[in-house]
Amino acid sequence: MQYGRAVGSAVAVVGLRREFGGRRGQPVVTALKDVNLQIPEGEIHGLLGPNGAGKTTLCKILSTVLLPTRGSVEICGYDVESETAAVRRLIGIVFGGERGLYTRLTARGNLEFWASLYGLSGTQSQRRVGQLLERLGLDQRADTRVETFSRGMKQRLHLARGLIGDPRVLILDEPTTGMDPVAAQEFRTLVTSLQTEGRTILVTTHDMAEAEAICDRVTLIDHGSVLATERPSTLGRWITRYARVRASGLLPAQVAPVTAALSGLDGVATVHEVAEGTLLVDTAADGAAPAVMRLLLDLGITDVATTRPDLAEVYLRVIGNRGMRVDR
Amino acid sequence: MVGTRLPRGTTARVVLASSRNAWADLAATFTPLTWTLGWLGRIVAQVIFYALIGSLLGSPDRMRYLYIGAAVVATAMETLLVVSTSTRERYSGTLPLLVASPSRLWPVFLGRSVQWLPSGVATATVALFAIGPAFGVRFTLSSGFAAFGVLVLVAITTYGYGLALAALVLRFMRLRNWATNLSYTVMMLICGVTVPLSFWPVWLQGAAQVFPLTHTLHVIRLLEGGTGDSLTILTSLGLAVLTSLGWYGVAAFLLERLATAGRRRGSIEFAES
Amino acid sequence: MTLIIAPPTRLESALAYLNGLLAGSEREVRELRRSPDRLMALVTAPLLTLVFLAIMLQAGREDLAPFAVLAPALLVLWQMALQTSGDTVESERENGSLEALVVAPAPFPAVITGRIAAVTTVSMLGFVESWLVAALVFGVRVEIYHPWVFVGAVLATAYATAGSAMALAALFVRTRAARAFQNTLTYPFYILGGIIVPVSYLPDWLEPATRLVFLSWSSDLMRSSLDAGPVQGVALHLVMIVLLGTLGGVVGGVLVRRALAEVRQTGTIGHA
Repeated sequence: MQYGRAVGSAVAVVGLRREFGGRRGQPVVTALKDVNLQIPEGEIHGLLGPNGAGKTTLCKILSTVLLPTRGSVEICGYDVESETAAVRRLIGIVFGGERGLYTRLTARGNLEFWASLYGLSGTQSQRRVGQLLERLGLDQRADTRVETFSRGMKQRLHLARGLIGDPRVLILDEPTTGMDPVAAQEFRTLVTSLQTEGRTILVTTHDMAEAEAICDRVTLIDHGSVLATERPSTLGRWITRYARVRASGLLPAQVAPVTAALSGLDGVATVHEVAEGTLLVDTAADGAAPAVMRLLLDLGITDVATTRPDLAEVYLRVIGNRGMRVDR
Repeated sequence: MVGTRLPRGTTARVVLASSRNAWADLAATFTPLTWTLGWLGRIVAQVIFYALIGSLLGSPDRMRYLYIGAAVVATAMETLLVVSTSTRERYSGTLPLLVASPSRLWPVFLGRSVQWLPSGVATATVALFAIGPAFGVRFTLSSGFAAFGVLVLVAITTYGYGLALAALVLRFMRLRNWATNLSYTVMMLICGVTVPLSFWPVWLQGAAQVFPLTHTLHVIRLLEGGTGDSLTILTSLGLAVLTSLGWYGVAAFLLERLATAGRRRGSIEFAES
Repeated sequence: MTLIIAPPTRLESALAYLNGLLAGSEREVRELRRSPDRLMALVTAPLLTLVFLAIMLQAGREDLAPFAVLAPALLVLWQMALQTSGDTVESERENGSLEALVVAPAPFPAVITGRIAAVTTVSMLGFVESWLVAALVFGVRVEIYHPWVFVGAVLATAYATAGSAMALAALFVRTRAARAFQNTLTYPFYILGGIIVPVSYLPDWLEPATRLVFLSWSSDLMRSSLDAGPVQGVALHLVMIVLLGTLGGVVGGVLVRRALAEVRQTGTIGHA
C-alpha cells in the first residue's frame, strides 16, 4: 500500500495557532500560539509539558477533532483541514484513562466495531482483530466483557483500537495515566515495538522518565508555545544538573533567616516557602545543590531531600528567561 | 496516495456493528424476568391508568379509545429512549474517536439504540393483544396481524424522530430527559392518543402531522374498528413513512453538523464526561 | 492510647438531628438547582394537565375538570419524592460515599428527611401550575369549595409523602436496583392511589390494597374539597393519611437505622 505524498515529515506543523472563546463577549483564550513542529517518519516523538500547556489541543488538531485558527498542519503531506478524509485514514488515536471503550462489549466486540468504521470487511476485520488481540496479549481474554478488565488491559485494548486502521501516525495522549508502574512499563515496550514497523508515534506526557524511556526526540511545550525540541538525554542532563532541594520541619522563627542565607548562595535561583516550615530551593548551576544541602545541615535542618525539578522551569533557567512565569 | 473513499458496504457494516452495542446494552439492562415484571408491568400499568379514565367517563368507547392510544404510544415512548442511549454513547467518551475515524457519525448513532425497537413493539403487542380484550379492544386475526405490522412501523418511524431529537440533545446533554418526556407528552396530547385530532384547533392539527405516530396510530384504530378502506390506510402509512424519512434526514444532518461544529468550536473533548 | 467517647446527651442528639435535617434540605435545594432532571415532573405537569383536561372536555364532562387538574399535582408530589429518595441513596452509592454518609455524625435519617421535606415543599408548585394552565389554556377555573379541607388535605399529604419517601429510601438502601424500582413504583401507584380515577371505580378485590396507599385517601379528600356538596368523613381521611404516612416514616426510619447498625459491624451495606 502506498501512503503519503511527501517522503520525509510525518507531521508538519507550521505557524499553528488555536484560540477558544470570543463568542458573545467571552474572553479569547489562546491555547496554542505559533507552534512549529516537524516529526520525521518513523520517529517516536514526545510532547512534554505541564497540564494545560497545550499538548492535548495540539493532539486534537492533529487528529482532526479540532480545526486550527491559523497555520497549517499536515500529516504525511495531507492537510488536516482540507484533506480530512485522507488524514483520518492515516492516523490512530489513543488516550489514557478508562473512557472511549464499550465496557459492555468484549475486547473482540470493541475491535470489530472500530474495524467496521475503518472500512474493513468481515474477513479482513476478523484477521486484523485476531492479530491485534494476540499481539497485545489480550487473546486469552478476547471474549470477556471489557468492564472486567484491569486498567492495564484496558489501555492495551485502547492501543489495539488505535492500531485497527493500520495508521502511519499514532497519536498517544497521556497513554499511561493512572496505570501502575509495571503496566506502564509493559505499555512502553509495546509502543517501542511499533516503531520497528515504520510507524511515527507522537506521545504526550508530563513524565520526563517516560519521555526518556521511549522517545527519540522530545518537544517541550508550555503556555501554548514550543520551548525547545531536544534529545531526551539532553533534557535529562539538565534535570540532574539543576536539582531542587526540599527542606522541611523548619520552626517559624527559622524560615526568614534560612531563606536569606540560602538566597545568598551562588547558583541558587529561587527559595520558596511552599508549606508551613517547608522550603523549596531551585538551583541553576552545577554543584549548587550540594552547597545548599551542606548549609542546611550546618543550620541544624536535617529533614532535607533532593527532587527532580520541573522540566519547563529548568528550561527557562537554561535559556535565562527568568521573567516568564510557569504555573502548574 | 491514500484513498478517501471507504469500501462499498461500509455504512451498512457500521450500522450493524453499532447495533451489537445496542443488544449488549439491552442484555445489561434487563433479564427476561426484569423486563417482564419491571418494564412491561410498568408500561401495562400506564396503559390501564389511561383506560380507566374511560370508565370514569362511563363510556366503553372512550375506554377503548384511550386504551389503544396509550398502548401504541408506549411503543413510541420506548423508541424515544434513543435519546438517552445516544447521550450515553457520548458520555462514554467515544465521540472524539468516532469523529476522527474515516466513517461518518450518523450510521453509528443509527445502529446504536435499535434495542428499543423490538422492546417497544413487544410491550405494545402484549398490551394490545393479550390484555386489550379485557378493555374491549378486539382485533380479527387478519387485522391483528396487520396491526402488528403497523406497530413495527410505529417503532421504526418514531425512531427517526427520536434520532433527530437525540442529535439535537447531544449538544445539550443535561436536557436529554426533558426533551424525551416533553416530546412524549406532546405526542400524547396532540397525536390522537387521548383525544381525536378534531378536538384541537386547525393549526395544532397541522403540527400533529409532523409526528409519524399521528398517522400510524390512526391506521391501528381503523384496523381495530374494521372501518378503514385500503386507500385511507395506505395513504396514512405513506405519510408516516414520508414524515419519518424527513426526520431521519434531519437526524443525519444534525449529527454531521455536531462533528463539524465541534471541530470548529472545540467542543469535542478527549476526556469527555 | 484509648479513645473514650461519651454517649451523646439527649440535647446533643437533637442538635445533631437538626443539623442533619438542615444539611439535607440545603443539599436538596442545591441538587434541584443543579440538575434539570430533578425538576422534570414540574416541567411535564402543565402538559399532563392539558392531556387530562382534554380527555374530560372532549367527552363533554366539564364537571370532571377538578379530577383532571388535581391529578398532575399529585403526580408531581409522588414523582419528586420518589426521585429524591431513590437518588439520595443511589447517587451516594455511586460516589461510594453511602457508607461514609451513614456513619457520619449527622444521622442519615435526618439527612434524608431534610431532603425529602425540601423537595416536597418545592413540589407544591405542581398545584399552582395545573390550576394556572387549566385557567389559561382552557379557561377552566376549578373552584376550591372547601378551602380548609383542601389545605388540610394538602398538608397531610405532604407529610405522608415525606414519610413514605423515607420507607422508599430504606428500600433503596437495601437493593442495588433503586433506579429500576423508581420506574416500577410509578403507574401502579397512580392507579392504586386513585390519582385521577377514584379507587371506587376499580374492581372490588383491589379495594383493600388501595386503602393501604395514602394517596387514595388524599385524592378522595382533595376531590371532595373541590366539590360543592358537603365533605364526608374529613377526620377519617386526615387520620388515615397521617397514620399511613407516619407508618411509612417509622418503618423506614427503623430500617435505615438497622442498615446503619449493620454498616458499623460489617463496614458495608448489605444488598439484596
